[in-house]
Amino acid sequence: MTHQAQPTALSYREALFKAMHDAMALPNTLVFGQGVNDHKGIFGTTTGLGEKFGKNRMIEVPLAEEGVTGICIGAALNGAYPINIHIRADFVLLAMNQIINLAAKYKYMFGGLFDVPMLVRLVIGRSWGQGAQHSQSLQSLFAHIPGLRVIMPASSGAIVDSYAHAVQHHRGPVISLEHRLMYDLTFERDHEPTVLGKTPFSQRRVRKGNDVTVVSTSIMSLEARRAADWLADRGVSCDVIDLHCVSHIDANVIMESVGRTGRLLVADTSWQPYGVGAEICRIVCERDPGALKAPVVTLGMAAAPCPTAKSLEDIYYPNLTTLTDSIAKLVRGKADHGIELPHERSMADVYKRFKGPF
Amino acid sequence: MANTHNERLKRLIYQTLLIRRIEERVIELYPSDKIQSPVHLSIGQEPVAVGLCEPMTARDVLFTTYRGHAYYVAKGGKLPELMAELYGRKGGVSGGKAGSMHLAAPEVGMMGSSAVVASTIPHAVGAALAAKVRGDKQAIITIFGDGAIEEGVYHESLNFASLHKLPVLFVCENNALAVHTPLRERQAFDIVTHAKAYNINTTVIEDGNDLIKIADTSAKLLESLRSGGGPEWLMIKTYRYKEHVGPGDDFDSGYRSRAEMEKWLATDPLYRWADLVKEMEADVKSEIDRAVAFAEASPAPGLADLLTDVE
Repeated sequence: MTHQAQPTALSYREALFKAMHDAMALPNTLVFGQGVNDHKGIFGTTTGLGEKFGKNRMIEVPLAEEGVTGICIGAALNGAYPINIHIRADFVLLAMNQIINLAAKYKYMFGGLFDVPMLVRLVIGRSWGQGAQHSQSLQSLFAHIPGLRVIMPASSGAIVDSYAHAVQHHRGPVISLEHRLMYDLTFERDHEPTVLGKTPFSQRRVRKGNDVTVVSTSIMSLEARRAADWLADRGVSCDVIDLHCVSHIDANVIMESVGRTGRLLVADTSWQPYGVGAEICRIVCERDPGALKAPVVTLGMAAAPCPTAKSLEDIYYPNLTTLTDSIAKLVRGKADHGIELPHERSMADVYKRFKGPF
Repeated sequence: MANTHNERLKRLIYQTLLIRRIEERVIELYPSDKIQSPVHLSIGQEPVAVGLCEPMTARDVLFTTYRGHAYYVAKGGKLPELMAELYGRKGGVSGGKAGSMHLAAPEVGMMGSSAVVASTIPHAVGAALAAKVRGDKQAIITIFGDGAIEEGVYHESLNFASLHKLPVLFVCENNALAVHTPLRERQAFDIVTHAKAYNINTTVIEDGNDLIKIADTSAKLLESLRSGGGPEWLMIKTYRYKEHVGPGDDFDSGYRSRAEMEKWLATDPLYRWADLVKEMEADVKSEIDRAVAFAEASPAPGLADLLTDVE
């Protein structure tokens, strides 16, 4: 692949388009999805690629999630690199048999005789009344299963680098959860988090600090950066780690940070029970619980299906205020921490601009 | 010509016999607990596998089910590696991680078998799509039972294959049983009429013991796939002599009668050509003995193997 001059800033949507374009430029890539060739082109991430590379490889699919996932597995077994896109993550639940019973196990179950290289793109919805079935953050379900690589890219750079790595180097199934609310955000190349490992699937450091470790996923990594910026001006220094790959966590990265800060807060996009926060706690507790100077704090969605009404949704997700408040309480060790909190709601400027239907 | 026919028949009978005797060896070994894996024996259904695989090349890709011993052998998989796999040994085709239900032999086009009914049908469709996109003349074959037809993914697979005119042969091995439940208690529709609704050519073979007819039909249908004719669908009626899973008979359990099996025994090629079988028994036995000896000598996998090939 030729390396062209990279733009200095790229929106998440543009990054996805670039990733899909670069993937399709390879002759064995097949993209499957409902709406890949329609006038909306998966929020503009596949627009025109069917015309450019051929609709025999950019494939409009019947409404058959399990079948199409199985077709991707079969294509992968016969030399193709399939990318399967679900415009809402919730629909992938119809394909769990193929993902969990087949794709995740195919290599191990046959003693390494086969590889199933494929990418599944899942879009998490939020805001504008997405409701209970268009908003789920299902990373824990997938990350629980050996054989799957689960990523939650939280920047344009994370998309471009991780998808290129998936398509060109990684030989197993990758599940990527993309957050719909990031699509219109622009990420500057010079402000990309630092990759803390050898591959683009590694954890990333968003901001270096010494008072508290904040481990976050997806859009919560953006919130954590904003909270950390706010708190930095008020004397609190946050070490923010964007987990990025939730299925393969480098324990050394977590322990190094917790060892310095002694305090841990986990901010995830999903429900807390059996979730990312629980897993990070397992990592710390199994290695060095004595590193903690205070109990761990976790943030996630309220323990209920997502409500549709705006007034309920506003209090369903943790927002910038609750995140900042939680960090301040943890660092100061008391509810009455005296640190001024930001007035705006979580990503409020983005939400206000966001007009459905998706 | 008669001689050629005879040679071909001999090859088919030999394969059928080999599979039957392997299965019987499994039954014999089972009480020793050396094979700690659920076995879904092919006894009674071997001619279907042998006939279907005769015209296939190693590049033609076959996806099958947990009742897969017959296909593994008929497609050309190696016997010692099969037996060692059943034993759960390192020398097994998958180093013991697969066992009976997940046999595979990619070097001869035998893809991974799954214990989840109907789950490999879309894999064949996807493999056919990949072959078509790169202009490869591979034929792709998927084997499933009459129970798989009730699964939604079967419908999804037929639709996609027909829509994209893919080189895939759908083969229903119809033994009229899903575990112990007869077809009439499960299906409100006619299987063939249903398949035709997808605009796919259908063929039915009533006698799953007719080796030559199955092999000739398979050759014709594979040729049609290779010439770009789109998917084909074939149903072969057959009969499972043994219980659904395990080494035993179950004619006294009430859901079927021994008389049913006896009807099939009348056309069973191993009885029909008993004289040929007799000539072959010694060779077959020594082939199986060698495979069992290999399995017995192969070490068990251990800690060093536990976490390999996860991802």
